[in-house]
Order: sequence, then structure tokens, then C-alpha cells
Amino acid sequence: MKRTLAILASNPLSAVGVLLIALVVLLAVFADFIAPFPEHRGAVVDFVNFNKPPQWPYIFGTDLVGRDMFSRIIYAYRISLILGVVVLAIAVPIGVTIGLVAGYVGGWTEYVLMRITDVFLSIPPLVLAMSMMGLLEPTLTNGMIAVTAMWWPWYTRLVYNLARSEKEEGYVLAAEVIGASKLHVMFREILPNCVPSILTKMTLDLGFVILIASSLSFLGLGVQPPTPDLGSMVAEGAKYLPDSWWLTVFPGLAILIAVFGFNLLGDALREILGVEQ
Amino acid sequence: MTAPTLLIRDLRLSFKGYSGLVEVLHGISLHIDKGERVALVGESGSGKSVTARIILGLLQSMRTARISGALNFEGRDLEAMGRGERHRLRGTKMSMIFQDPTSSLNPVYRISEQFHEVLKRMVPGIGRAEADRKAAAMLADVSITEPERVLASYPFQLSGGMNQRVMIAMALANEPSLLIADEPGTALDVTVQAQTLKLMRDLVTRHNTAVLFISHNLGVVREFADRVYVIYKGRIVEHGKATQLFDNPRHPYTRALMNAIPRITGEGIPEIQDNSDEYLAPLVVHEGCGEPGGVA
Repeated sequence: MKRTLAILASNPLSAVGVLLIALVVLLAVFADFIAPFPEHRGAVVDFVNFNKPPQWPYIFGTDLVGRDMFSRIIYAYRISLILGVVVLAIAVPIGVTIGLVAGYVGGWTEYVLMRITDVFLSIPPLVLAMSMMGLLEPTLTNGMIAVTAMWWPWYTRLVYNLARSEKEEGYVLAAEVIGASKLHVMFREILPNCVPSILTKMTLDLGFVILIASSLSFLGLGVQPPTPDLGSMVAEGAKYLPDSWWLTVFPGLAILIAVFGFNLLGDALREILGVEQ
Repeated sequence: MTAPTLLIRDLRLSFKGYSGLVEVLHGISLHIDKGERVALVGESGSGKSVTARIILGLLQSMRTARISGALNFEGRDLEAMGRGERHRLRGTKMSMIFQDPTSSLNPVYRISEQFHEVLKRMVPGIGRAEADRKAAAMLADVSITEPERVLASYPFQLSGGMNQRVMIAMALANEPSLLIADEPGTALDVTVQAQTLKLMRDLVTRHNTAVLFISHNLGVVREFADRVYVIYKGRIVEHGKATQLFDNPRHPYTRALMNAIPRITGEGIPEIQDNSDEYLAPLVVHEGCGEPGGVA
């Protein structure tokens, strides 16, 4: 704990990351209490106050049907975070398990699993997600599925490399000698030694998952209106630039803050956990 | 006479490579009686460690390995045993100690947790408290003065010598009848190595454990072993009691090996030939050291 604080103190950027993410998470969790107009997250129309530049009580302005941008951004954060967490919660166990098996068992198993992984890795992530979304109905759940499908191979590759090197460690041989099963060696001996790297990557990735999900909805393939989403808000507002600048700038900044924050936090975590790059 | 703890007859090992079979062991025969300490000495790549892995059954699962010959453990044919039965022997009747004690312990678990895993091999339902109590007693046996502190530590918090003792205690925890020591302590400094070897010798004598001691260090072998096999390029070249072999090395390779030790008196690094036809001379067996069953 002391060491953690010392690292944060010696590296102001890490502290900034922690603060930004704390802000984002607090906004998302307590959205119902913080948002000045909670009902604006849905299909509300208020043509008296439409398309207003930032002013009290609409600090980020209002959109084309008069909804408060600030409230909508807060609720969009909530959806982005849920999406990021769910995607990683599914993609990481799948990717990690495949990577462990490929790295530890070796032989044909390794060859087949890693070639399949390579196929996924060879397709640009956004293109893969887009083509999946093109086939599926554009909903939040399908968005999660598409992003998950493109995310697990990165964990497979990471854990595969770690497992390959951990496999040569003496304690793996020692465990095999006293008769530990393959499952025990993989999950109880090798996996705990990979946890710091996995955690660091997960933190870094949360930002990127949010970015990809926003990109999808920017293209109209993600979360559908009236549910607030940062990506679709930017896409919507882009048509009215530069006059109604607040329609794009604030959601764009919100994406920037989340992605930047998770990156800084990931770097801080890497330092704290002593993970090599 | 009871069956020897370990009997290996005409063990051959080859690996299938791109250019055909590469033979690594050319028919090794050796035996270890109950409670006997036997050393297998040879240079790097002579086949010492693969022999150990074959005994434990770790190499058999490799697709490229071709193994033939007889392997008997306490009178039972290891190769005829089912996988499950053979698996049960590991960690209970057979155990092993490695070169580098610190890397042989998983850095993410405390010593007590790792001890627990070892004890579970013998008594699957053993509880944590019971395991800790047993472990503490065993650590006391290897002259660790504060067993509780060591049990609560992670391997990287302990010195190499401490870890080596922990490894010895773990290896002997389930009272195996055969302990394979693969160059134990080579990664430690000389004084620590000497202490832990003495400890290990006392313990195996007390528990009447048979030991296969694999080493390239002749000084250590002389102190530790009752009987010595010298191995060169996958063949046993000389076999005798430790005293016979060290007093009167008869095989040209054994003599070269002994001459290779730098003297503390400072006569410079000895000159020996890397390769010589003489090294391939046939097996020399000292008096009274034949293999059981009459095969030399």
C-alpha cells in the first residue's frame, strides 16, 4: 500500500489517471443523483429549449430535441462502462484459457489453437466487429458479442507467451514431478504468475473497448437511440458543426477522458505490479 | 534378497528428429538397493538428467521419444503399470530435488501452501492446520530454527540455502522410498551446498531412503555416495563403490574427469582432451559391484 502511494506520488500522470477514472466511475454509478435531468436519458422532447449552447441549467447545452447533454453523457458513461466490463468479463476467461492450454500443452493443440487465434488477429478489429454487426441486429447485446469476438485473441496471445516462458520455470517441473495434473499446473501454478500482466492489459483495454464500442455506434452499428451513447452522440452532432459545436465536443471529450484515464491507470498498474512491457 | 528399489536394465532412449533417430542413451543398466545412495556422474549432455526423467515417467509422454529397456521399481515393472498407478507413485514413493531451489518453488504461494499441496498427494483430505503442523516438524528436521516464520514466507523472501532445505523437507515429506536429486544445490554457493548436502545425507540415512544422486561434481559425489556410476555419451563407462572408484579410477574417461578438477593449490586449469577414442573404451566394473542377475 505504501509502495503504491509512493509510485502514484512520484508519477503525477498515474495520479491523474486514477482521478479521471474515479470521476468517470462515480458519475456512472451515481448518475441518477448527479444528472440534472435524469429523464432526458430516454425519448424526451422539449422543443422550447432545443439546440441551446452551454448555459445554466444546461451546462453542456442541449441537443436537437432539447435534452440536456450533460445528463445524457453521464448515462452514456454508464452504458460504456457496463459494456467494457461485460466484454472483458467474457473475453478474458476465454482468451486466457485458450492461451494457457496452447502454451502449456504444446504440440498439435498449440498449433491449431494459435492458428485460429492468428486468423482473428489478422482481421482489423473494427472491420471484424463491423461485419458481425452488419449480420446481427444492432443492439447493445449484439454490440457486446461483436466486441468480445474480436477481443479474446489478444489475451490468448498474451497468456500463450507468458505460459510458454513460465512452463520452463523450475516450479512447473517440480509440480509435474510430484504428480500434479495438467489442469492443476495450468490454473494453479502458471496462471497466478500471469495475473499481473493480465490485470494491466485489462485496465488498458477498458479504454479501448469503450473507444471501439463508440466507433461502432458512431457508424450506427451499436447502441440505438434513444439510449444515450457517446459514439452516436458525436455522429449525430457532426452534421451541425461548427455552429452547434457542443453537440460533438462534449461527448468527444467524454470519450477522450475515459480512454486517456484508463491508459494512464493501466500504466500506473504496470508500474505498481512490476510488469515488464 | 529383496528386490532393489530401482533396477534399470539396458535402457535405451532416442529422439525422433528431422534427420531420423538420434540415440541418446545406448543401453544403460544400473540398480539402487533399498536405502543406498548411488551417484550418476558425467558431463553435461551425457544423459544423466534424461535418465532421471525416464524413471519418473516424464519423458514417456513426449511424442518424439523412443524408449526401450526394463525399469523396475521395488520389484514391479514400471512400464507395465497403468498410467494412473504410475502417476500415484510420483510425489509419494518417488520424489525429486532440483538444481535451483528458488525457482523450483512457485513465487506466488507461501511455503505452507506449497507444503500442503505436497502432503495432499499422500493424504488427500489433510487439513491446513494438520499440514502446517507436519510441515513445521519436517522443517525442524532440516535444521530450520523458526519453522513458523518460514512457512508464512514466500520463496523469494528466503535465501537459497533456506529454499534448498525447504525443498529437501518437501521431497522427503511423504517418506518416499526413492529420492532423485538432480544436481542439488549447484545454484548455491559452496558452503551452503556443503551444509545442505550433509543435512540431506543424515536425513536419507535416518529414513532409509534410496537416493539417485545426479551430479558432475566429483568432490560432492565422493562425500555423498556409496556407489558410483560414471556415464559418458549415453553409456555407463565405470561402476564401483565410491572408495574403489576414487582410489583407483580405471576407465580413461573417469581419470580424465578427475584430472579436470582445478586444484586449489593453483596449478592452473588442467589440460584435458575434449574427445578421445580412449573414452569409448568398454565398461569397467569394480569387484563386487555387478548388476543383480549377472548382467554387467
